[in-house]
Amino acid sequence: MRSRAAQLSLFGVALLIGLLLVGQLRSQARPTEISTLSAQELSQLVQTLSDRNRELRTGLADIREQLREYRVAGTQGQSAVEVGREDLRRITAFGGLAAVEGQGIVMQVSGALDAIALNDLLNELRNAGAEALAVDDVRVTHRSVAIQGPLALVVDGIEVGETFTLRAIGSPDGLLATLERPGGIIAQLEQFISATITARAVERLTLPATAVDLAPTVAQPAD
Amino acid sequence: MTLRRRSVRPAWAISIGAGLAVVGFVGAAQWNSSIDRQQFTTSAQQVLSAQVVELEEEQGTLRNEIAEAEAEVQRFQEESTTSSETLSRLNDQLTAARLATGLTALHGPGVIVEIADSQRVVPPGENPASFIVLVDDLRDIVSALWASGAEAVAVNGERLVATSSIYAVGASVLVNTAFLSPPFRIEAIGSDGLQDRFLAHDAFTGRVGQRIEFFGLEFATAAADDLQLPAFVGNTRFRWAVPSEDAT
Repeated sequence: MRSRAAQLSLFGVALLIGLLLVGQLRSQARPTEISTLSAQELSQLVQTLSDRNRELRTGLADIREQLREYRVAGTQGQSAVEVGREDLRRITAFGGLAAVEGQGIVMQVSGALDAIALNDLLNELRNAGAEALAVDDVRVTHRSVAIQGPLALVVDGIEVGETFTLRAIGSPDGLLATLERPGGIIAQLEQFISATITARAVERLTLPATAVDLAPTVAQPAD
Repeated sequence: MTLRRRSVRPAWAISIGAGLAVVGFVGAAQWNSSIDRQQFTTSAQQVLSAQVVELEEEQGTLRNEIAEAEAEVQRFQEESTTSSETLSRLNDQLTAARLATGLTALHGPGVIVEIADSQRVVPPGENPASFIVLVDDLRDIVSALWASGAEAVAVNGERLVATSSIYAVGASVLVNTAFLSPPFRIEAIGSDGLQDRFLAHDAFTGRVGQRIEFFGLEFATAAADDLQLPAFVGNTRFRWAVPSEDAT
């Protein structure tokens, strides 16, 4: 009896420890991280997540419209071909496999930017909503990255001079506002790298397709 | 008999006592941390934190719905492959385009890179931010992987595509639409030697490699024979860019 009482007591204590440890670990995970952000950071996060969710809602509405078109077209005939062709045009434009055009901005960059600075600039443009990018005539894809070559920066195997043009298709106002805000990427680069960067809105830009074959050679589709 | 009783009772009594001591310690820690949060979290922060959680939940739902709708589109296209040669050819092109642009889940050999905040005690006078994983660290790692020949990369399960950005909000990180927290696991599929090329690349050794060494960021890499990377889930419909008819 005494032994059983001891076992039960130990079980109870172990259970209590377990519950408390789980509670403690949970309190150290995400909620604590969110709560350690300042009100300003949280406000920025709310704004960013709201924007991203709005994009997702728009994207979802577009896919549903495409589904509706497929249903109307059925699975045979010219209409299904047209819906499929439209999808192909969309996907190849999205991934940089096809040339695209639209409103956006043109940046003239001059200065000794290093690879990190150029990659940061591209990242900032993407974050600001750029849908398609080109450094000079090199279309930027998901695999494009600026690296330091023997003589100059290189993007997708093409050398980039100390003066180059960066073109981005997207909301001109949104892109310019992000780039030109006080303390933004242009201000940082001009201060720390002595670069000269000008940006202007453009009514119509045309960006070429990538010259790089993006078909994977090692990776295979998962089932 | 007396000796046996004395030797048994103290043993379980000590176990219980030790257990209760742990309970007390953990309970006190939890109580203290709760008090800290209450003390340092303003009501505005509480409201905003709740909004963040709500938006993340909404995002999860939206992403699930997008993934389901995209899968349905693909089912329509796959079903129609047998209907005509034109459709069949078109669907082959669609499959290839999805594969090349990050819209298909992939598997293959590659490398796993893990990075997390330093466990070192921050010395007096040092900036605590130096001891945590920064967005620049992730960007450098991803850049080094692409530059080393990676064919596909995912950060904590977020597949990177042409429109992906890696963005900082305070000490936290947004990749695509997702709010990610450390530890970060970056997976990349690529040909033999990807791990070695990555570790030797300037994009890695130049900045993040030094931060790992100086500040003791937790870091590990491992080659993998068969990594599974998810497809990108998100908006692939452009608002501003349209396919061009006349450009090359």
